[in-house]
Amino acid sequence: MSASKHLSDLTARIIPCLDVAAGRVVKGTNFKQLIDMGDPVELALKYEQQGADELVFLDIKASVDHQPSALTMVQNVAMNLSIPFAVGGGIKTMDDVHRFFNAGADKVTLNTMAVTEPDLINQISRQYGSQSIVVAIDVNREDGGELSVYTHGGSQRTTLDYHHWVREVVDRGAGEILLTAMHKDGTGTGFDCGLLNELGADYPIQVIASGGANGPEDFLQAIQAGADAVLAAGIFHRNEYTVKDIKDFLIQHQIPMRTTP
Amino acid sequence: MKPVIMIDLNSGNLLSLENALSREHQPLSRIQQPDAYDFTGDEILVLPGQGRFGFIADRMDALGWRDFLSKWLINGGHLVGICVGMQVLFEGSAEDPDTRGLGFFAGRCERLNHPKTPMVGWAKLDSYKLNMKDQYAYFVNSYGVPDCENSTAKVTYGDTFCAAVQKNRVYGFQFHPEKSGRFGRELLQHVCQ
Repeated sequence: MSASKHLSDLTARIIPCLDVAAGRVVKGTNFKQLIDMGDPVELALKYEQQGADELVFLDIKASVDHQPSALTMVQNVAMNLSIPFAVGGGIKTMDDVHRFFNAGADKVTLNTMAVTEPDLINQISRQYGSQSIVVAIDVNREDGGELSVYTHGGSQRTTLDYHHWVREVVDRGAGEILLTAMHKDGTGTGFDCGLLNELGADYPIQVIASGGANGPEDFLQAIQAGADAVLAAGIFHRNEYTVKDIKDFLIQHQIPMRTTP
Repeated sequence: MKPVIMIDLNSGNLLSLENALSREHQPLSRIQQPDAYDFTGDEILVLPGQGRFGFIADRMDALGWRDFLSKWLINGGHLVGICVGMQVLFEGSAEDPDTRGLGFFAGRCERLNHPKTPMVGWAKLDSYKLNMKDQYAYFVNSYGVPDCENSTAKVTYGDTFCAAVQKNRVYGFQFHPEKSGRFGRELLQHVCQ
């Protein structure tokens, strides 16, 4: 357990993640079997009302699809939502970044482009401030025990050294990292608390834990291991738990949470 | 209702703020330069700010706002500053030590004394002013004003800093009311009437 010695009034954030394709929220099992889950604005408002602290939209078909649908969606979400939200997927150039911010996004998340063109992190940070850029790191523990960083939605293994990469993104100006433990993702066995612990309370930016949430206990463990925020998708979309259910559980376990009237 | 004028310093999108402020019967516009609007003195100015202290201050100079705002403040005008838009109402900031703020509030911004910056997320306000008691506000900042006699709410991140300030009809919020859920929107509408 890595409790910070620094005082903080911040509450840990609970962040539902919505996978989007062609302007609709989809259940992202694989590209061939996309199940329509509904309208992004309606779902976003539902989660806001449940007490979500922030939302993340990932346009999982952005590379195949074109961006206009994503931009329209971002505009509609921005018009209706009164909590912050981040957008990711298909961002390749500073022009893409400008478009998303102009449409009303509060943050962008980069994954593949952060690896293939890391200077984009510096550019976004310089122009919009580090608070506007979240770098998503997909890490996998290989069979041999070593940690590898993946891109392209977890399909391509890179040669990056994980421990070096989590430092480099900070130096380049990322404001937060979204850490997905691929070996835990979808397994329903909880987050990789070892990785969270290892980053520690003094890691210089906030850490959003992702991958593996099966129940409220997993959120508790991730936060106790040092996550500043926890992101989850399926558990909310399948209506297994509401955001409020998770928060109520965490409050019972003495984790300060933002509550909404 | 008094017109609300958003000062557009080109420092990021104003859409959320615009949405939070827009309501029936209240004129709302954004302008880039003070001479682009025929001011009567009865308007409510909103000064948002994303990015560096120095950048915002430079934009104020470049677009002719510094002198205008100094007079506005001296004459008791109504103004709401948000995030760096609140910070520039102070004397200066450790972020850009050579840049002057407007100096309406006494004090300077210092870097937050916490290993994780920027501070990102929600913190509970503890203040009876402006219905802020026990409400959660969304913060995104690396700098803050440690102390000010006009402080109306404080939060702690490393050390304690001013979450909100007020002197007469000048309101400052270090957090983002436009991103702070229903509470934030109601707060904004309250101080803009």
